[in-house]
Amino acid sequence: MKEKYTYRCVSAQVRFQENAIETFAKNTEISYSFRVQRDGYLGVHYQEGEMTDEEGYRLATENLKRKRPYKYAPETGVRERDKSEQEMSDRELLDFGRELITTLHEKYPDFTLSGSLHSSREESGMYNDAGLSYRNRDCTYGMDIIFKHKDSKDLMDGSFSYGFRRLEKEKAYRTAENYLSAFVKKAELPEELIIQMPVYGFIGKLVNQLEGENMARGTSLLSGRIGEKVFSEKLTLYNDRSDLTTWATPFFDGEGVVMEGDRQVFIDKGVVVRAYADKATAERYGIEHTATAGRVFADIPTNGNFSGYIERSEKTTKELLQGRLSVVPLYYDGGGFNEKGDYVMPVQRAYLCDGEKLIGMLPEFTMTSNLFDMFGDDFIGIGSDEPVYNDKCILIRMKYGH
Amino acid sequence: MEREYQYPVNLFTEVRIENRWTAVYVVQNGEVMRNLETETTGAIVRVYDGQMWYTSVTNAMEDIQKEIDGLAALATPNPEIYEHPTVRNFGDCRDTVLRYQGEDSLRKVSEEEREKLVWDYVKVCEDNPIPEVASYRAILNLENLKKEYYSSKGAAICQDQQSALFFHVSGILIDGITTGAAKGYSVTSFAELKGHEEEILAERERYLRYAKEAVDVKPGDYTCVLAPSVTAMFTHESFGHKSESDFMLNDKTLREEWILGKKVGSELVSISDDGALPYSGYVPYDDEGNRAVRTDLITKGVLTGRLHDSHSAAVLGETITGNARAQSYYFSPVVRMTNTIMAAGESDPEDIIAGVQDGVYIYGVNYGTGSATFTLQPNCCYRIRDGKLCEPLRVNVVTGSVFEALFDVDAVGNDLRIINEGVCGKNGQSVNVSMGGPTIRVKKLSVN
Repeated sequence: MKEKYTYRCVSAQVRFQENAIETFAKNTEISYSFRVQRDGYLGVHYQEGEMTDEEGYRLATENLKRKRPYKYAPETGVRERDKSEQEMSDRELLDFGRELITTLHEKYPDFTLSGSLHSSREESGMYNDAGLSYRNRDCTYGMDIIFKHKDSKDLMDGSFSYGFRRLEKEKAYRTAENYLSAFVKKAELPEELIIQMPVYGFIGKLVNQLEGENMARGTSLLSGRIGEKVFSEKLTLYNDRSDLTTWATPFFDGEGVVMEGDRQVFIDKGVVVRAYADKATAERYGIEHTATAGRVFADIPTNGNFSGYIERSEKTTKELLQGRLSVVPLYYDGGGFNEKGDYVMPVQRAYLCDGEKLIGMLPEFTMTSNLFDMFGDDFIGIGSDEPVYNDKCILIRMKYGH
Repeated sequence: MEREYQYPVNLFTEVRIENRWTAVYVVQNGEVMRNLETETTGAIVRVYDGQMWYTSVTNAMEDIQKEIDGLAALATPNPEIYEHPTVRNFGDCRDTVLRYQGEDSLRKVSEEEREKLVWDYVKVCEDNPIPEVASYRAILNLENLKKEYYSSKGAAICQDQQSALFFHVSGILIDGITTGAAKGYSVTSFAELKGHEEEILAERERYLRYAKEAVDVKPGDYTCVLAPSVTAMFTHESFGHKSESDFMLNDKTLREEWILGKKVGSELVSISDDGALPYSGYVPYDDEGNRAVRTDLITKGVLTGRLHDSHSAAVLGETITGNARAQSYYFSPVVRMTNTIMAAGESDPEDIIAGVQDGVYIYGVNYGTGSATFTLQPNCCYRIRDGKLCEPLRVNVVTGSVFEALFDVDAVGNDLRIINEGVCGKNGQSVNVSMGGPTIRVKKLSVN
């Protein structure tokens, strides 16, 4: 069996340095994984840049000598998906970059602005001689701005981003307005600490606990708890490759497996439903495989990960807050989860927020919690709207640390 | 073999070509999870017209001239380009510095040797079983990098770097909690990876005790004694990132805050950076063709230098230091540390601990961050009482202010150690660095 796993990304970047355009960069990244399966082994050749199929498969065949075990039948199926909505030319990107940095600098002269405006056209494919032909395409754009106030003694004061498939300039400017206008206003820490952050700020630790091998060997905090209600009833966690807000995620995994309906539940209303596993992990530990093989190009497929999707509330972020104010961490780093699942994070910069509008800057503080509290009694939900970040916001109650 | 290109007139052009060989062998819980060997070649072409950089990346070496011409068509020719202060700072050396292409080249280590090294360490651990070890992972990663740099100023540099990395991580499971016990080595030759069996076993025992006995720290301010590996991270994070001058170019507040000659720390503190040292941050020439030099950043508590690329040195009117580094050919260089070391002092480490009535000894850290409030995330600490190390402590994060912590260093040990296992992230790029330091005592840090 011959199989080819491909990735091509054409990207462009307008880089800003201290309120001006510094660089226009173009990259074309091409990667191939040529795979030849024979007698229960998989020979793999990884190539950066173009290579003919003939040469790629020849080198993959040579690599059968490593005897990398892989006995699973190849996947079959034909499908194409294109999530792209708008093709901006390099000229259009550069022109918007000029307009953006000039406008922001004129409007907010007290800030030094750096960062980038970037485009990314990604295409992943998998093809084999058993009849598999999958192609996934996406075209995404992003604005990432790092800012520093002229009176600040820190290296930077914060950053904001706006990601889009179709440019809506007013959203970009509204995001900047929200962050930069509120920065110079002072606010006080609220008594009740409700953190409002992008989902990915916390979810990685939760998803990692569901890894099949760790679950099976007892080394996950969720080992032995499948079928048990561990978290809040409001928490339902999916691997959702249909989620339009997840960028550049192909509908197939590194073994060419596709989930039914492109999604699978892992935590259902607080109940742990299953672990995630590639085919080899699933077989080794007697669990189901879940289309989560990683994007491995240079060796046989192994278990990967997934960007968890939490089912959203029907209420908006503001409605979930019920009149309370939230805290939006702007610049936080250095802490994290420990082996017990305890979470401590120093927050160097944060805003007080009403759920939609940033109100003012808060003093430094430390937020603390625990994985089981965060997604248990202290989990408030994810609003139906996308305020502040132009992305899904999670609301979690936490405590103040030292 | 030196390459030749037709450079466009009235524009500055540079070409950086990288050939990277990598071998990885990973054993996890008895299974070979990775066994691969790859070789990739790519190039970045950069054209500068005095206003903007235009850059492009290719894997096809035969297309480099086409890339140069394409970028030149986007740029605006500038007859004064070679008088531009930044361009004047770019290197024009012609040199070859190849340390790792002979018998010591990691490319020459056979697959059998690689497998044997990993399985030998696995066997040693299996022969000394600890019932609480529920999982393990042994990782070997070898890399040999050959780089070429050419520019329209006449530079033609060929240099190489290599790193041999081995890590053994055990998952110690006690009462449903898994504590990682990791011991790693990052060196420049394969032979140096051998013979660490006793240290790996001892580290497992240390973390077994930690997993069994650690108590949660009561959050508060403590006098902290930092083990050499922690001082190394502290040096990198608390001050090192503030020595990278690209953050302050047109910022009046920061230029005044970090003015050379200012007292920024205790007289016991001296910190330097030197890319020519043969550690993980070894870069004989940086990615702008400038030779690495030693830069004394802090000398006895006084700010005496900072790190530069060609642009920052031009803007600040200071001397280039050879600190422009890029993660790979996909990236343009930015100002980065290389081998950053806090100099040893004269105190005996035991005496430093003996001088603490009630404090925290930080033995190991996972990572740190370096804004004005720097952070360290420890993985093993001990309580100090009456000058003695006591029970293990579980600490989540240690924070401090760069404007205070360096003044609070009141003891510096004579046990300087270089940590080669460092990887530093900045602006989305990761580069290998080494960090060094001795045991130190800091009068007050916030512990959570």
